[in-house]
Amino acid sequence: MEEQVEMVGRAFVEHYYHLFDTQRSSLSSLYHQSSMLTFEGQRLQGVDHICFKLNHLPFDKCHHLISTIDTQPSSSAGGIVVFVSGSLRLAGEEHPLRFSQMFHLMPTLQGSFYVQNDIFRLNYG
Amino acid sequence: MDPDALSKAFVEHYYTTFDTNRTGLANLYQESSMLTFEGQKIQGSQNIVNKLTSLPFQQCKHSITTVDCQPSGPAGGMLVFVSGNLQLAGEQHALKFSQMFHLMPTPQGSFYVYNDIFRLNYA
Repeated sequence: MEEQVEMVGRAFVEHYYHLFDTQRSSLSSLYHQSSMLTFEGQRLQGVDHICFKLNHLPFDKCHHLISTIDTQPSSSAGGIVVFVSGSLRLAGEEHPLRFSQMFHLMPTLQGSFYVQNDIFRLNYG
Repeated sequence: MDPDALSKAFVEHYYTTFDTNRTGLANLYQESSMLTFEGQKIQGSQNIVNKLTSLPFQQCKHSITTVDCQPSGPAGGMLVFVSGNLQLAGEQHALKFSQMFHLMPTPQGSFYVYNDIFRLNYA
């Protein structure tokens, strides 16, 4: 059971950042109307607002490199919390940015997962 | 209580307890609680507190830089995402860390930590 949670968490994270880095508009498939994102302190709710934000970040090309992925089952009906740390390389920038991000994934009726909660922070210094 | 106020109050209480009375953290976890500490998975209040009280330092001080919170769902849970610095006594440079808590309500009207994940942020 624990291994399953870990596998799902890892697979999700890989999929999420791959989409982010290659086809950012497709992230809309991973959020619902109830989803919440806090991006560097700014709060957004709902797939439309979240995707608008992510599609309008001040850079075109980027690449996420993941250092750590930690997963745990959350107490809500099949939910999974995933805690990620890594670095974000922006095209044209010499130094990558370090970040931490947490996702709370909830199961869909079709047997996959969507992001119910998403919190992103850059790690400075 | 407003969720932001609640999460700030929790975070202050958690780290003050950690820094001044580490065994007191036992009240904040239950048998079902899970901690992943730098990749090591621990379950249950007693095991968690054993881990935290046997970390390789005596005195420490957490300074919190950011606290973000979101409600986690219909059960009344709260996700709290913290970043900050951890100063160990005798060490010149503070360690940077990120930590997430998933708090669940108790019947008595307070909260306990159901999920806890801690990671140092290396440069």
